[in-house]
Amino acid sequence: MNLSIPERSEYLKILSDSDQKIMGVLPALYPRELLWAFDLHAAEIWDPPGDILHANAHLQTTICPVVKKSLEFILKEPDVINTGYLFPHTCDSLQNLGTQVKDLIGVSLPVYTFYNPKGSFNNTTTKYYREILQNFQSMLEVSYGTLDSEKLQAACLLGHRIDSRLMDIQEARQTDRLLLGNQEYFQLMRAQEYLLPKDYMSLLEQVEILDQPSEGAKARILVSGILPPSPQILDFLDKLGVSIVADDLLAGSRRLPKFPMDPPDSPLDYLTDRFFILPPCSTRGGDLDERLHQLNKRSKSSKAQGVLFDLVKFCEPELFDHRLLVKTLREQKIPVLTLETELDSHLSGQDKTRIEAFIELLFEMVPR
Amino acid sequence: MHNLYFAGVDVGSLSTDVCIIDQSGKVFSEMVMPTGVNGSEAAERAFDASLKQADLTRTDISAITATGYGRASVAFATGKTTEISCHGVGAHQLFPKTGTVIDIGGQDSKVIQVDTHGRMLDFAMNDKCAAGTGRFLEVMANRLELDLDELSNPLNIKGESAPISSTCTVFAESEVISLLAKNTPREEIVHGLQRSIVNRIWGMVTSIGIQGEVTLTGGVAHNRGLVALLEAKLGLSLNIPDNPQTVGALGGAHIACRAYHSTLESSTT
Ligand SMILES: Nc1ncnc2c1ncn2[C@@H]1O[C@H](COP(=O)(O)OP(=O)(O)O)[C@@H](O)[C@H]1O
Ligand code: SF4
Repeated sequence: MNLSIPERSEYLKILSDSDQKIMGVLPALYPRELLWAFDLHAAEIWDPPGDILHANAHLQTTICPVVKKSLEFILKEPDVINTGYLFPHTCDSLQNLGTQVKDLIGVSLPVYTFYNPKGSFNNTTTKYYREILQNFQSMLEVSYGTLDSEKLQAACLLGHRIDSRLMDIQEARQTDRLLLGNQEYFQLMRAQEYLLPKDYMSLLEQVEILDQPSEGAKARILVSGILPPSPQILDFLDKLGVSIVADDLLAGSRRLPKFPMDPPDSPLDYLTDRFFILPPCSTRGGDLDERLHQLNKRSKSSKAQGVLFDLVKFCEPELFDHRLLVKTLREQKIPVLTLETELDSHLSGQDKTRIEAFIELLFEMVPR
Repeated sequence: MHNLYFAGVDVGSLSTDVCIIDQSGKVFSEMVMPTGVNGSEAAERAFDASLKQADLTRTDISAITATGYGRASVAFATGKTTEISCHGVGAHQLFPKTGTVIDIGGQDSKVIQVDTHGRMLDFAMNDKCAAGTGRFLEVMANRLELDLDELSNPLNIKGESAPISSTCTVFAESEVISLLAKNTPREEIVHGLQRSIVNRIWGMVTSIGIQGEVTLTGGVAHNRGLVALLEAKLGLSLNIPDNPQTVGALGGAHIACRAYHSTLESSTT
């Protein structure tokens, strides 16, 4: 199937040329509906292309490339970002980057922060989350006028429709009812990072979901980590006949509620509930047992034969979880492969060998 | 029935190795040649030399598995399999009780767990830093003005070893330079280098674990000092093949033979 997904920078350029207010948002979780209600478009900055040159002067060598690439992008003060930057508290590195950009480096646009609570659903965390939502709203009201509650309600409804459709697509992926290769599938997932929600919704509606499963892939894997594997790896997997049937990625299913929600009634309640039913995540200090449970559940429902961890180099939260996840999966005799990425486009010969060997293992390709 | 022959061609970063067997597993040729700059030419050259050694022609070979980092460049192969699977099968053929293979080649090193058919169950691979690879030893041999054989001398394990803290070739090289400047005896430096490789291997071993007998493959298995240190660190004695560099090619030849017969079986059933 050929989806026509607009290219990120071209799309954003057209938007900013048409005077759309665009905020640059760093990974990963933030109340997007609140921004939409102020007619602010959230353009997420995860792994902008280009070499890391000037950012290195401000950051330690052991900082992850997501942070470095984001800073490199911000230092260029690109025109497409025209209203400010938002730094959610995803990890210490991003939080520090927010402070650095705001107080030390300085950019011409305002810098906002959003302190997601760490820990699971309870009275204190939900109360805290509601408070920060309200504070964030007040902060935006200073620049963009009083929030129109109908707009917020409409934004939540649209967010809810996007979530529901994404859940259907994810479910179809797991059961071979999508005619998308690995590359195209993740392009579709990642288009939510920069498309206007209405454009994203219409893109999702174009995705064909089959009634019956198509012929299954040769091998099925689940991928875990922060970002999907690079296009080079996805392409390589496509060529090997390997399908990523499920994911546990921060830029993927970890930003989608674990189960369908009722349509929003009261927006702030809805946003709070939604945050707390997101899948367990290393960046929210989630419970590792729950993450493992979730991973197993997804593996089973998608019939994945193995798990590929694609780690961003120096990503502390993820590395912390990874050790224990791998240990437990190995004990359960689930084949595991770990790759480490610096977000460049290069696919080394060794990584190719790792992937092929992993596939040989999954397929039992070596005869007795 | 006339003899059927099978070959494995392992195009590695430093050496291109070929092995020819017949259907009973009897080895007819083992060849090790430098890879040089062109993997596909090296494969042709080594294969021709191997055929000559076995007194065979290309048409005598029923199936050929290409393996090694240059496996894609072997145009005449009938199949390709990673060196990880090939080392597993090859080591198992030589030492049937092998449960774990440690392969230390030119540009990377691997620890591979295998089942009772030599099929890979799990693996770990180091390629991030050169320490832990043969290339590291070559760079250091050069710096110490020793040949690879001199660098392989077994040392008294209890003997002194110079502290080489770095796991990066570039830094390790400068550490070696400063040790030389301090007139540290060469044997101590060699010992320190071997130890740093063993430590890298140990890291991989702990990540996937050891089972069954352990077979060491790849060119670095020629390094007797390193073998002794690795045995001491693991607390067991290692199986060392006579020809550690051709184990991947041997495994490739066996995989070619198995694939040939399983295709035959499935086409006759
Ligand atoms: N005679 C020897 N003595 C000691 N070390 C050796 C000897 N021959 C090869 N080596 C080591 O083996 C390495 C090459 O191993 P090999 O398995 O051929 O690598 P690859 O498969 O990557 O080509 C060399 O870098 C060298 O360190
Ligand atoms: S990749 Fe990891 S360390 Fe880097 S920004 Fe994301 S969560 Fe933080």
